[in-house]
Amino acid sequence: MSRYETNVVLYRLKKDSAFRDRFRADPGSALADADLTDEEREAFVRWDTRKLNDLGGSLHLLISIPGLGGH
Amino acid sequence: MGRIVYAAAMSHVLYPNYYGQNVGPHGRRMVEALIDVVRDMGRTLTAAAPDALVVVADDHLNVFSFDAVPALCVRVGRSVNRMVQDGAIEFDRALEGLPERYPVHEDLANSILERGLQAGFDFAASWSAPLDHAFLSPVSTLYGATPVPPLVPFWVNCFVAPQPTAQRCFAVGRHIARVAAEGPWNVAVIATGGLSHFPELSLARVGQSDVAFDRRVVKWMEAGNYEPMTALTAKELHESGSHELLNWLVLLGAVSPARARVRFFGEMGRIDLAALEWDVA
Repeated sequence: MSRYETNVVLYRLKKDSAFRDRFRADPGSALADADLTDEEREAFVRWDTRKLNDLGGSLHLLISIPGLGGH
Repeated sequence: MGRIVYAAAMSHVLYPNYYGQNVGPHGRRMVEALIDVVRDMGRTLTAAAPDALVVVADDHLNVFSFDAVPALCVRVGRSVNRMVQDGAIEFDRALEGLPERYPVHEDLANSILERGLQAGFDFAASWSAPLDHAFLSPVSTLYGATPVPPLVPFWVNCFVAPQPTAQRCFAVGRHIARVAAEGPWNVAVIATGGLSHFPELSLARVGQSDVAFDRRVVKWMEAGNYEPMTALTAKELHESGSHELLNWLVLLGAVSPARARVRFFGEMGRIDLAALEWDVA
């Protein structure tokens, strides 16, 4: 489980608006180079925040990504 | 000889819209009542005329990414910026409209850092980390339109395991008190965050607090009974959602053996809000 990579992606989604735009347009393509497991990648693509949290994704990042966060 | 002239701890999302949206009118009213109390505390703080204000708070993965998470970090340098977040949502919006830059009390910050390393505290130092709501929501509420004194921002890693222990945070507070006592400055210290919320940092448990736990720790602080607080384990803090008590533990070390006076305690459900002062003068 690459908890670090999951949080790197979440942090980029919060801080990098261009990356966030690419992710929102085509999550699979935006994450093509990310070192994620299949389970993590699927959770990102489906934007399953509970699953991402269960996989070690930071709660504070998950709730605060512009346009995607919330709880 | 310097001294600590004011000490307080308080919840740090002093932003009615956040609780209005996420809890409803009850949450909005409660945080508005807390804000009134914190403003009143700010009048006492302002009257104490500190040369520097040490603010002990935590990062919410806003400043330190997973590339490096310092357990304990002193902000040095001459000034510090407010965090800027494009498209801010939730509690990041508490920063909107605040000044962009604040002075840092460079000499006190350097003393805490340098003497800390000499004393065995392996503090990290940052010259560039900006401040999020954990620092600026309380500071701006305490001071309002009054000029803010030079700050010494101090980060405790509350959210990325493994965190520093409660006992270690208390010891850091003792260190800060020693530096203040042996320096020439009148120093104010505040700690921010809490009380219990976001148990286990689980999205599924957002909305829950641990009222019994919060009542217990507030009673301990009122009694000046800090031994059970320094004995709190990472597991207890995590399960109850009391991660940010680590900030408060730094303050407790700085003010011990003074007892707390509860200025506000409110059970919201989603979080329990509090503001406490210590008679240190």
